[in-house]
Amino acid sequence: MNKKLLIILSLSLVLLIGTVAMADSPVRVALVLSGFLGDQSFNDSAHQGLQRAVEDFGIELRILESEVPADWEQNLVAMADAGYDLVIASSTQFQDILDRNAGYFPNIKFGIIDGVVEQPNVVSAIFAQNEGSFLAGAVAALWTEYDHLPGVNSEQTIGWVGGMDIPVLHDFLTGYRQGAKYINPDIRVLVSFAGSFTDPVRGKELTLSQYEQGADVVMNVASGTGNGILEAAYEEGKYAIGVDLDQDGIYPGSIVTSMLKRIDQAAYLMTQQVVEGTYEGGEVLYMDIANGGVSLTDMSVMQEALGDDFPTEILEVIAELTQKVRDGEIVVETYEGFRRN
Amino acid sequence: MFDLSEIFTLTLIRATVRMSTPILLAALGLIVTELANITNIGIEGIMLVSAFIAVAASYWSGSWIVGIMAAVVAGVLIAALMALIHLKFKADVFVAGIAINLFSLAFTRFLLTNWFGVAGSFYSPQISPIPRINLSFLEIHPVINTLFNNYNLMDYLAIVLVFVFNFLIYKTVWGLRLRFTGVHPAAVETGGISVTTKKVQALLISGVLGGLAGAHLSLGYTTQFIENMTNGRGFIGVAAMYFGGVAPITTWFASLFFGFTEGVGARLQTMGFPSQFILMMPYLATVFAITFSMIRQQRRLTQKQPF
Repeated sequence: MNKKLLIILSLSLVLLIGTVAMADSPVRVALVLSGFLGDQSFNDSAHQGLQRAVEDFGIELRILESEVPADWEQNLVAMADAGYDLVIASSTQFQDILDRNAGYFPNIKFGIIDGVVEQPNVVSAIFAQNEGSFLAGAVAALWTEYDHLPGVNSEQTIGWVGGMDIPVLHDFLTGYRQGAKYINPDIRVLVSFAGSFTDPVRGKELTLSQYEQGADVVMNVASGTGNGILEAAYEEGKYAIGVDLDQDGIYPGSIVTSMLKRIDQAAYLMTQQVVEGTYEGGEVLYMDIANGGVSLTDMSVMQEALGDDFPTEILEVIAELTQKVRDGEIVVETYEGFRRN
Repeated sequence: MFDLSEIFTLTLIRATVRMSTPILLAALGLIVTELANITNIGIEGIMLVSAFIAVAASYWSGSWIVGIMAAVVAGVLIAALMALIHLKFKADVFVAGIAINLFSLAFTRFLLTNWFGVAGSFYSPQISPIPRINLSFLEIHPVINTLFNNYNLMDYLAIVLVFVFNFLIYKTVWGLRLRFTGVHPAAVETGGISVTTKKVQALLISGVLGGLAGAHLSLGYTTQFIENMTNGRGFIGVAAMYFGGVAPITTWFASLFFGFTEGVGARLQTMGFPSQFILMMPYLATVFAITFSMIRQQRRLTQKQPF
């Protein structure tokens, strides 16, 4: 008798807790990274976007970091297996991994940033980094001509240092080169890859050697390795261009501008879609100059550092180029090996 | 297309020295342990923890001297842990080394989030870097000035340490006993000297040098800490140590060789050489160096045998 009552009571209790939990349970989002937070760049940007989603929608956020490629697939599958509502794989390196695994979890919604996966339960976000880099290249080419600025030499040489040698970085490079040549067809662009996204020592060494070879502005496209690039600019009294996030303030006066790749916006949009029920698998969010997915910073930090020496006409040129790209008057090339779909 | 004069400049020599310093400091520590018959691959982990502690101490104290000292203490502590695992509990030295390396990677991540509330990397203008040294008497001639002046303090210190350790190892009783610990431990014990004590000493000294190497990465070469920032430089130190025949001065040249491949690589890339090939160079050099030293060792062994 007593036993029966106990069972009924406990069952109803379980049901009660269950329904309460169901009603209140927040949307659970997992972010899987192919690196670590703290790069002041790509990964941090994704994190910022989701942090905003936490504040706006009260989602539950879980982040898995690893720079070991062998872990990436495990992390992704583990999160899908744990039943997260949305699993965001943040970087192009997840493309094949997600393509392989999305089919096993038809009820889980996936998102990939910086890559395209054609599956019914994946939303992809890609960036026109070539368009953003086009503007960065134009800035660099203009900057190297301002000999009156400290640290700018008379040589028409600019630099570019990347992390790993992967297609998406070549897409950056293609735009950067085109932008530089648009301003000055005879310009020389020095290019180096560090082969790693977590080696600031090598990043710094590569940048120093580019400065020694006549470059005065070097663009950073190297995540954690890039911290060394920016530091080299600061120490040598030369210039760098930041990437992904607004890096202008890291060494004020050394970083001309940053090419913003609004990874945060992409991550936020995907989460918003899931929360509001507008998520549609198979969709590709295309983040370009036209919709603000990529842009340059307003250079206000540099302006403040240089004072009256700041060449204000550069802002006009950039605004003009931005408009031309938006209108389709300038078509920025894409790296052939980069899948855009 | 390739202008060699643009690669082989005086600044390449500077880059060579700069890039060789962390490898050299690690390799010196490895020599000491190798002589006592311990191949301390845990040096990578020692460097990583020290690099972190150096940044943390410099950040809080505002003094790079405190940073270096803290890094050395941290290096010695990790080395002591290594000694405990390997000498007291008799774990295989490679297993112990790998354990230390994996531990260090996770431990620094943990401390990074715990102490500074950041993930991945930490830097701040408050971190006081190890200064560059300007020796005014070298300014007499521009070439001499470019070649020898204005290096980081640690670059100079590493070179001084080469000669200090050369003296310690070959000209002191302590060095003689250390060398015999590796060559013939039974003879050392018979002489009334504890082999274990010698090995512990060797490990702790490698902790000091690994600590300096780590401090150089995070306070000297750059002023920041990033996860896994050692990036295999401790392992390249192992290669340099073998390539240099486990002796300080030749190991110095071996380290310069590795620094040179990095420096040349950095310049060749901008000339349009494929980066995949260039980035392979330090590792190719490692394979080459190890092969070379193994052949030499084999030859020496066959020469020793009368038949």
